[in-house]
Amino acid sequence: MQGPSTDTWFMPDTLQTDALISALSGAFGSVDAPQYSATVVYADTFDWRLFRQGYILHCHGRAWTLYHGHNGEVTVQQAGPDLKRSCMSQDFPHGKLREMLEPLLGIRCLLPLTTISITGRQIRLLNRDEKTVVRIVFEEQRLAASGPVFRLVRLFAVRGYDEELTRVRRILAEKGVTRTASPLTGFEEGCKLAGRRPLDYSSKFTLELDAGCTAREAMVRIYRHLLTAIEKNIPGVLEDLDSEFLHDMRVAIRRTRSGLSLVKHVLPVAVVTSFKKDFAVLGRLTGPTRDLDVYLLQQHDYLARLPAALQPGMRSFFADLAIKRQDEQKKMVRALKAKKNKAILKSWKHYLASEDRKPAPLAGMAVNDLAGQIIFRRFKRVMKDGQALAAATPDEAVHALRIQCKKLRYTIEFFSSLYPEAGIQKVVRQLKKLQDILGVFNDLSVQQQMLRHTLEVLEPGTRHHLEQAAALGGLLHSLFGEQQELRNHFAEAFAQFSDPENTALFIDLFKTTGEAP
Amino acid sequence: MSIIAVYNIKGGVGKTATAVNLAYLSSVDNGKTLLCDMDPQGSASYYFRIRSPKKFSSKKLLKGGKHIEQNIRGTDFAGLDMLPADFSYRNIDIALDDFKKSQQRLSKVLHPLQSEYERIFLDCPPNITLLSENIFYAADYILVPIIPTTLSLLSLKQLFAFLDKIGQRRNKVLIFFSMAEKRKKMHMELMQAMQKKSGVLHSIIPYLADIERMGIYRQPVTAALPASVAARSYEKLWNEICDYLAL
Repeated sequence: MQGPSTDTWFMPDTLQTDALISALSGAFGSVDAPQYSATVVYADTFDWRLFRQGYILHCHGRAWTLYHGHNGEVTVQQAGPDLKRSCMSQDFPHGKLREMLEPLLGIRCLLPLTTISITGRQIRLLNRDEKTVVRIVFEEQRLAASGPVFRLVRLFAVRGYDEELTRVRRILAEKGVTRTASPLTGFEEGCKLAGRRPLDYSSKFTLELDAGCTAREAMVRIYRHLLTAIEKNIPGVLEDLDSEFLHDMRVAIRRTRSGLSLVKHVLPVAVVTSFKKDFAVLGRLTGPTRDLDVYLLQQHDYLARLPAALQPGMRSFFADLAIKRQDEQKKMVRALKAKKNKAILKSWKHYLASEDRKPAPLAGMAVNDLAGQIIFRRFKRVMKDGQALAAATPDEAVHALRIQCKKLRYTIEFFSSLYPEAGIQKVVRQLKKLQDILGVFNDLSVQQQMLRHTLEVLEPGTRHHLEQAAALGGLLHSLFGEQQELRNHFAEAFAQFSDPENTALFIDLFKTTGEAP
Repeated sequence: MSIIAVYNIKGGVGKTATAVNLAYLSSVDNGKTLLCDMDPQGSASYYFRIRSPKKFSSKKLLKGGKHIEQNIRGTDFAGLDMLPADFSYRNIDIALDDFKKSQQRLSKVLHPLQSEYERIFLDCPPNITLLSENIFYAADYILVPIIPTTLSLLSLKQLFAFLDKIGQRRNKVLIFFSMAEKRKKMHMELMQAMQKKSGVLHSIIPYLADIERMGIYRQPVTAALPASVAARSYEKLWNEICDYLAL
C-alpha cells in the first residue's frame, strides 16, 4: 500500500486561515497542535544525488531531517554537523542518518541550496468519536531575507478515512482553495533564486541533437554543452569542495579534446589545432591534483589490503600524500586563475558563438551520416586492437586499448540521441563491461608504477621511511596479485564485447556506406 | 519484521493495555507498526476510537489480501495503524474450519503485511481455540502478561502443555508480570521466585489507575501521559523486550 497521500494548495490571498477553519468546523471537530516555526537550510550534492533518489534533506542548526520529497514523510531526524560551506557524510555522527546518507552521497559533499523560513500550524480534524480522520496543515514558506511568502494548505490523509478526506477537499474547494501547489514550493523557488533548478546538473553526458542539423551545428552544441559543464564545475574546483568537481571538469575537457581530434574537417583545421593545444594545457595543469585525489580516495581500500603491522606505515604515507595534494591544489588554483588560462575558455566560448569565414569541408554534412561514420571507425579500431588482447599483453598495450574504448564511448555518447535508445543502451552496456575490466587493470598498473617511483626516491635511514617502505612493498604485492588475476579475464571480456550479436548491433546502428567491420 | 502476540488464557490481565502501549512505543522508535485487534470485544479498537468498518468480518479477515488492506485504519499516531476487530470474530473458529491447513490460515494472511510493517502486534482473545492455535503459529513471539497469583501459574502450565501438543516451541513465550501490587506479599514472593527462570522478563507493570483510565481518555497511556509511572513502566518493558529479542 502507498504511504499517506498529501494534497497541497495555495491559500487564496483573500482567504484567512480562521475563515477556512470555521468552515470545516461545521463538519468536523478539531484539535489545534502548537504552532511551529523554523528556519531551515536545504542541502544536496552538486549533482542532486538526494533529490534524484526522491529525498529532501534540510537542517535547522544541527538538527537534520531527511524525508521523502513526494509525500513529505520523514525518514530520519538526527543531529549532524553544522553546515557552513559544505560537509561530507563522514562528518555525521554514526547512526541511522549517516547510514542512509553514506551510500547516497558517496564521495560528494553536501552544499547549502537555499534557506527557507517556515511557520505553520497543524489541525487534526475529528469525527464524532473524536478520532482523527484528516490532518490539515497551514504553512507559510518564506524565502530568506524579505523574499516572497508562499501560503500553503496541505491535507494529510489518515488511512481508511477516505470519505472524510473527500469531504474536506470539497469544503476547501467551496472556499476557493483550488490552485494546487508543490509541497516543496519554497524549496523550488529558493533554488531558482539561487540560480539552481533540481536536476540541473549531472555528470552524465546527455544532449538531444536535432537529427536534421548539420555536422557543424551538432558539434557546436556538443562543445557548448561540455563548456557549460566545465564552467559549472570551476567554482567547486577553486573552492576545493569535493574531488568530483575536478573530476567532472577534467572529463568535460577530455571529451572536448576527443571531439576535436576524432571529428575531423567539421571545424577549420587552424581552429582545431589551436584549441587542441589549449585544452591539452588545461588537462595537464589539472592532472597532478587529480592523480593524488585518486590515491587519497583509495586510502580505505589500501589499508584494508595490509596486515595491521604494516598499516601505520601506510597511514604516514597517506599523510604525506595529503600534504602534497594541498600543494598541488594551490598550484592548480593559481594556474586556473591565471589570465592566459582563463582566456582559453573565453576565446573558445567566443569561437563557438561565431561563424566560420571559410567553413571546413564537412561542416555542412548531415550529422546523421557523420555520426555513423565516426562511431563505426572507432568501433573498427577497438575490434582491431582488441583481437590482440590476451593474458600476456603488456600493460602499455592494454592501456592503449582502454583509450580506444574511451574514444568509442565518447563518440557514442555525443551522438546517442540520434539512435534508438534500446540499441544504444545495449552497446554501451557491453562496452562498459570491457571498459570496466580495462579500467581496473590500468588503475592497478598505474598505482604500482607510482608506488615503485615513491620507493625509488624514498631516502633510507629513518624509521619513518622504513615503515613506509615496508607498507608500500606489501601493497605492491597485493596490487600485483589482483592485476595478474584480471589478466585471466581479458579474453572472456573481449569475446563478450565482440560476439556476433553485439557486432551485428554495431553494424546495424552505425554502419553507413559500404564499410566492412 | 516480526509478529508479536499478546496472549493469556485468562481475561482481565492487562493484555489489551499491553498491546496498545507496546504497539505505540514500537511505532515511535522502531518504525511502522500494525496492531491487529483479534478480540471480538474490540477493546483495543475502542482505545483508538476506531469503529469496525461496515463491511468487515471474520470472513474478510481470513480471505486476506485487499480485504484486509481496505480495512486497516490509521490511528491518531503517525506510524501506527490498526486492523479493528469485528463482532463476527466471536465465531471465527467456524470460519477457520473451512480452510485447508486451518491452523496456518492467519499466518498466511498476515504474511504479505510484513513487507509494509516493521512489526505486527496481535491483541488476542482470552481462550484456547483454533484461533489461538493460529495465533501461536503466526507469531514469532508470544508475550504473556500474568498477574502474580497461583491460578496464573496454572494457566501458564496449560499454555505450555498446549504448545507442546501443537508442536510449537516453548521459547516463543515471553512472560512478564502485570497488575502487580507491591503491598501484596504473595505477589512479591511469586515474582521473585519466577524471575529466575528463563523467558521471564524483569520489567513489571504495576497495578495503576492511569492504565485503567485509558478507557476514559481513549489513548495509550504512553502517549497521553508520557511522564507517568505507567508510561515509564511500559517503556521499560518495551526496551527489555527489544534487548531480549534483539529487535
